[in-house]
Amino acid sequence: MPPTETTARTDERDQLRRMRLVSLLEGATLVALLFVAAPLKHIAGHPAATSIIGPIHGMAFLLYVWMLIQTVSGADWSRAEIARAVIVAFIPFGAFANERFLRRKELALAGSVSPERKWDTSG
Amino acid sequence: MGYLWLKAFHVAAVIGWIGGMLISSVFIAMHVASSRPLAAGESRMIEMVRAWDWKVTTPAMLLAWALGMTMAVEAGWFSSRWLMIKLVLVFGLSALHGVQSGVLRRMARSANRSPPAHLRYAAPAILVAIAAIAILAVVKPF
Repeated sequence: MPPTETTARTDERDQLRRMRLVSLLEGATLVALLFVAAPLKHIAGHPAATSIIGPIHGMAFLLYVWMLIQTVSGADWSRAEIARAVIVAFIPFGAFANERFLRRKELALAGSVSPERKWDTSG
Repeated sequence: MGYLWLKAFHVAAVIGWIGGMLISSVFIAMHVASSRPLAAGESRMIEMVRAWDWKVTTPAMLLAWALGMTMAVEAGWFSSRWLMIKLVLVFGLSALHGVQSGVLRRMARSANRSPPAHLRYAAPAILVAIAAIAILAVVKPF
């Protein structure tokens, strides 16, 4: 049976929620790498922290990029929105701005007038 | 964990990942350039393919990444040219998997919208990439 519009919106909101969590994970590991592990290595002389957090951040970054590709491939994001989501991944604390942006998109889907309505009618 | 154990689990994870991608590829290719709405049975099939992608293919990909990265770090291969070329292919496969996964979500939501035409070539592209990856990882020619 084809999905109802409500089911489809819930599905998309779940996707944005997952994207938000992965964005926060990526942002948190970047902050930990730059403001905890790197000072420990260069100031306190403990390189072990970067060798642990570095690969964890690498995995989190890959997962974020993958989730972004997955999210935009299933929806109609503008190029500006995609560029913004890519750029914030390189900026410390950018994930927190991204969190608000993704939450706004989530709330738009929850609202009575969906900006994503065109998905269902442009085919 | 010993190198051989890491390698065994890495290969198993890659097989699960690529197998899942091939399932998605064939399913998506069946619906490329088809403008007719999906029948009830096909909608059920989309949900099954999506569930497989979510519960098997994606975790297998993440495991393949993690184990592959661990092996490369432990063996000190990051300066090897064969690994750099392999990583480019792995990123390409990962990106294609992301696109497939997103397209399956869109298909489940908008039953009357056909997937992008270029995805009909996904299965042969995956097979060529995985053959090249196998050669690079086993023969290590560079």
